[in-house]
Amino acid sequence: MIYLFQLVNGIGLGMLYFLLAVGLSIIFGLLHFVNFAHGAFYLLGAYLVYDMTERGVNFWAGLLLAPVVVAGLAALTEAVLLRRIYHLPHTFHILVTVGLALMVQELVIILWGPVGGNVSPPDVLGGVFMLGDFIYPQYRLFVIGLTLVLAIGLWWLLEGTRLGAVVRAGSESTDMVSLLGIDIVRVNTAVFALGAGLAGLAGALAAPIRGVEPFMGVEALGIAFVVVVIGGMGSYTGALIAGLLVGIVQSVMATLWPEGARLMIYLGMGLVILTMPRGLLGRA
Amino acid sequence: MLNRRDLLKLSSLTAGSLLLPAGLRPAFAAGEAITIGAPLPMSGPFAANGKFGSMGTAMIVEEVGKILDRKLGYLEIDTEGKPATAVRKVQEAMERGVTMFSGGILSSEALAMGKEVAKGNGVFITTAGADEITGSECNRATFRWSVPTFGAIEQTVRPLIEQLPNAKRWYTITPQYVFGDGLLNAAKAIFKEKGIEHVGNSYHSLTEKEFSGYLTNAMAAKPDALLILNFGSQSSDTLRQAVSFGMKQRMTILLAWASGLEQFETLGPDLMEGVYFGAQYWHGIDSPFNRELVAKVQAKHKMNPNYAFASAYLTTKLLIDAAAKAGSTDGPAVVKAMEGMKYAGLTGEEEIRAADHQVIKNYYLLKGKAKSAMKDKDDYADIISFGKSFQSPEEALCKMA
Repeated sequence: MIYLFQLVNGIGLGMLYFLLAVGLSIIFGLLHFVNFAHGAFYLLGAYLVYDMTERGVNFWAGLLLAPVVVAGLAALTEAVLLRRIYHLPHTFHILVTVGLALMVQELVIILWGPVGGNVSPPDVLGGVFMLGDFIYPQYRLFVIGLTLVLAIGLWWLLEGTRLGAVVRAGSESTDMVSLLGIDIVRVNTAVFALGAGLAGLAGALAAPIRGVEPFMGVEALGIAFVVVVIGGMGSYTGALIAGLLVGIVQSVMATLWPEGARLMIYLGMGLVILTMPRGLLGRA
Repeated sequence: MLNRRDLLKLSSLTAGSLLLPAGLRPAFAAGEAITIGAPLPMSGPFAANGKFGSMGTAMIVEEVGKILDRKLGYLEIDTEGKPATAVRKVQEAMERGVTMFSGGILSSEALAMGKEVAKGNGVFITTAGADEITGSECNRATFRWSVPTFGAIEQTVRPLIEQLPNAKRWYTITPQYVFGDGLLNAAKAIFKEKGIEHVGNSYHSLTEKEFSGYLTNAMAAKPDALLILNFGSQSSDTLRQAVSFGMKQRMTILLAWASGLEQFETLGPDLMEGVYFGAQYWHGIDSPFNRELVAKVQAKHKMNPNYAFASAYLTTKLLIDAAAKAGSTDGPAVVKAMEGMKYAGLTGEEEIRAADHQVIKNYYLLKGKAKSAMKDKDDYADIISFGKSFQSPEEALCKMA
């Protein structure tokens, strides 16, 4: 029974990790851009929901608005700043995005204080789901359901639409896509905004589970990189599998070997690097 | 193009640097004035505590103004929450003539600074939690105001067992390092004495953020009470997730080492209602000194003093009073004046035990209130009980050099 608990719990965690990591992965896949500000977008998403619910705005409205605002801000940042450094080596990407992440983090402290806060789940999902001895928070079940729907939607977007085809083609050769008359600059902005918006949504969804505090972005960035490295950079399916794997390992290990629950994630990452240097589903 | 190994290398370097720096910020320059060092984490994850601590020190220094015919000042030292940085900056301050230090919120930095101040013949008082500070690593220069793990458990677990005679099965969640084990061992001793069944314990690492796995284990053991033995944001995360799993309705929850108002503001009444908390300080304590402090802080800062503020105010005051009594700011003279000192403190009558430099003070058991029962925005909890419990210096393994 306890392993069923941990399995469901692991899937819940894993879906959140997937949402967080897939944006990072897509951005890297298309733009070959290492975005260390990804955690900052997650942080912003969480704080926007916190701020709105504190002001009495309905949680659902907050959940809808936060990722849209984050995506908008990301698009603006991409257009004003990041677009100018795509052609530079990766060290510059990291320099600029780490700077950006620090600025966002400090801005959050200035605006909302260093202490953090709590976000209550909406009343309708505030209870627990019970089936005999099996108890699980309704809100976490909702998160599993919603991320599942989003995962399917995203898969369709990338595999079944023209935008998806352009994104996939762009990740192979941006020059070729440009030659075909497609405005790759706009596609880049859209993809960056989509990736950041997904991070914002992950933050907004995580807020009632984790609460908000100014350093949550750093932790999220760490997890996102682990998932992307295990799954393979630029791979959608890889991010999904790795996200679930990390979530389930973390949760099941809490029963088997609690002290090592966190260690196992990084050990797992190490193993994948040694045996499959490109990740589970990564490209060369 | 960047390969995955380079990316990993870079990510490990950069993730750490997101938590980085700020410098030594002199609030007053050391010179003719008597300067009290306030080594606190002013940047990094514990910056909020550092900020309030600095405000507390500033307030008492300003209030007293002058001792021994010399102007009083203080030097804010940003430890960044890192022992190495703390030691380096304390050394620098001592080279500038500072002999008295009040600060150190994290145990690791406090232990390191205590040793450094002892080497330089200064005096240091801290509020950090590790038992070793006045236990196995006690030294001549270091004093500690906060109650160690033994007393924190004695004053929370024991009264709660007495209040809840039907809670026979307890589950514990413990961070795996000396602080957590200190709390856990003290709790186990009481369980054994009272015939309580300890139905399980989950150890977790100090970096853990996700507690649902451990809580699932706890629920499966069907306890009557859940004892949370971690602290800071980890205890907030544990409690938040426990409440989301409906555990508040199924069992009594005790968070034995809460940080008080700072933490309650982040939790809010929805999570706190009906939950028990252990605390070193609460602004609602009914003692003359505390009532006076609360009134002064409300008048000056339009807020209630929290633990970091109040404890820094008091520990700095102890240094000032001892220096005045000793007629000197010389470290050993101030140490001598502090040993055995009895005074009206925040928690009532307090005493500095000479043998191990531990302050003998009350520890509190609080219970979270419903939002509708709160009289003002900070009225998160009621005091249920309080008292003083300490191991003897010998039991605490203090051998003063």
